[in-house]
Amino acid sequence: MSSPGRAPPAAGIGGPVMAQFILKRILVLVPVLLGVSVIVFALLYLTPGDPALLMLGEHAPPEQYRALREKLGLDDPVHIQYLRWLWRAVQLDLGDSIRSSRPVVEEIVERIPGTVELAVLSVLLATFIGIPAGVISATRPNSWLDNIFTVLALGGVSMPVFWQALMLIIIFSVNLGWLPPSGRLGGWEYFVLPVVTLGTSAAASITRMTRATMLEAIHEDYVRTARAKGLDERRVIYRHALRNALLPVVTVIGLEFGNLMAGAVITETIFAWPGIGRLAVDAIRTRDYPVVQGVVMTFALSYVLINLIVDLLYAYLDPRLRVRYH
Amino acid sequence: MASTLAPQRGAGLGLDTRGQLLRRVMRNRKALVGGVCLLIIALAAIFADVIAVHDPYTQNLRNRLQPPSGEHWLGTDQFGRDMFARIVHGARISLRVGFVSVGLALLVGGTMGLLAGYYGGWLESILMRLVDILLALPSFLLALAIVSTLGPSLTNVMIAVGIAYTPGFARVMRSAVLSVRQLDYVAAAQAAGASDLRIMFRHVVPNALNPMIVHATLALAGSILSAAGLSFLGMGAQPPTPEWGSMLNSARSFIRAAHHVVTYPGLAIMITVLCLNLLGDGLRDALDPRWNR
Repeated sequence: MSSPGRAPPAAGIGGPVMAQFILKRILVLVPVLLGVSVIVFALLYLTPGDPALLMLGEHAPPEQYRALREKLGLDDPVHIQYLRWLWRAVQLDLGDSIRSSRPVVEEIVERIPGTVELAVLSVLLATFIGIPAGVISATRPNSWLDNIFTVLALGGVSMPVFWQALMLIIIFSVNLGWLPPSGRLGGWEYFVLPVVTLGTSAAASITRMTRATMLEAIHEDYVRTARAKGLDERRVIYRHALRNALLPVVTVIGLEFGNLMAGAVITETIFAWPGIGRLAVDAIRTRDYPVVQGVVMTFALSYVLINLIVDLLYAYLDPRLRVRYH
Repeated sequence: MASTLAPQRGAGLGLDTRGQLLRRVMRNRKALVGGVCLLIIALAAIFADVIAVHDPYTQNLRNRLQPPSGEHWLGTDQFGRDMFARIVHGARISLRVGFVSVGLALLVGGTMGLLAGYYGGWLESILMRLVDILLALPSFLLALAIVSTLGPSLTNVMIAVGIAYTPGFARVMRSAVLSVRQLDYVAAAQAAGASDLRIMFRHVVPNALNPMIVHATLALAGSILSAAGLSFLGMGAQPPTPEWGSMLNSARSFIRAAHHVVTYPGLAIMITVLCLNLLGDGLRDALDPRWNR
């Protein structure tokens, strides 16, 4: 048997093995996040031209220009500037927005709920569509249902999110008048189009992954054994094959959060949704570099944390991985 | 020396000869359909000046937002320009952006993966940590961050998307190199005194090509989507360049008056990416032994 239908009693869950695994996994993150902080810091300093001049514009009064250079510490060596920026960032001080003069952290914290609710609802929608569609496809290979789901999933991963959003606006807002085309003024109707846009594109990836892993699982020895024992087909599929096939799908769902963040930048811009993605685009357009740096750091931090959670969940679900890591 | 070693290539992996591989690719329906569609799009891009009768830049304000007709097959845009001409010329730009950025990622990422996989040790640790750092941001966001620094232009989009796709190639190449490095023919070449460079390019790289080709095809699809997305946000091609993402961005305000101005450029992106995904899926089925079990 290459893999048991049901996970064996997980030795060490919550014990020293798991604790060590979590610790090791977190330690690996430290150099990665430091590296990301270098990239984020470099974003401003690699921009052609004088950062202070870029922020203030060509016609800024000289005293204002000198004050900003002093405030940003631009006359110090680069490594000193980086360490100072990092030290402040660790204390959640990412500077002030050039546009609003408000602390960058405040601006980001204000926008986080908008993006989180969009991302969570979209992942839920994607999971509820993607997993059943993938299972149905894999259990009835080459049937008309499988062909439909396969074509839809392939179309879904090939469709640009921004075009899908515009098409949904044309159909449901312009032509039918059922849903508002943008904004987030109140009720559930404002959520439908952005969530469907993001959720269906993620559902396509989840469907493809579930189908592939289910097809693989169905041909494993333990499934054949379960069938040979005379178990009911539904029990074989859902209790034995699906449990193992879902492991890689967990990773895909985690990765989809990353794609959703990227999708959120575009979707929030189209639907005028008050989230971090739109904040990023507005900041880039107005050259509000401290906000750009803050948003990129926030995205990286959340992506890395989501991947950490996925890895831990994976280790929790698959004890073999934990033991190998140990 | 190489000639005596060549027949052993891939023997331990159960790989087929090039002829067998090509036959398997040609027999794969997805690869065939995707490949043929892509060829048609590429030919349309090459012969855009011949296929499109109208000039993609010439404005005719009295003829703006016209629906599809015999004269203008896909209608006209908000400046009265022929949509068909703009979309066909747009194929040239999108394919160029895709190929250049993936070429860049393949070159840099492939070299990183090759060196990391072949030499191992501290070089591998440094290169792979760099890859981990680049992977800490989803590729589109990384590209967006880079373009925000470099400034909005099509060239910068190619560089940004290229950098964003580099870590993927490094990982694929490294794992492919790791799987062949330990094989007998590499050890034999080393024992025969062949230089590292010769072993890498004569024996290791050819056996790592299959996964790289599959990854490059799928990355091409992703890079075209990313580049169009960046142009849609105003960070890439600037008007009046007939780039699909940029066309969608400038036509957005007119969807109430004429939806064809956003329907067709988006459809063009989707069809191109669909062809590449079909080809990539088909190639993976045909070339990657894990998918042939």
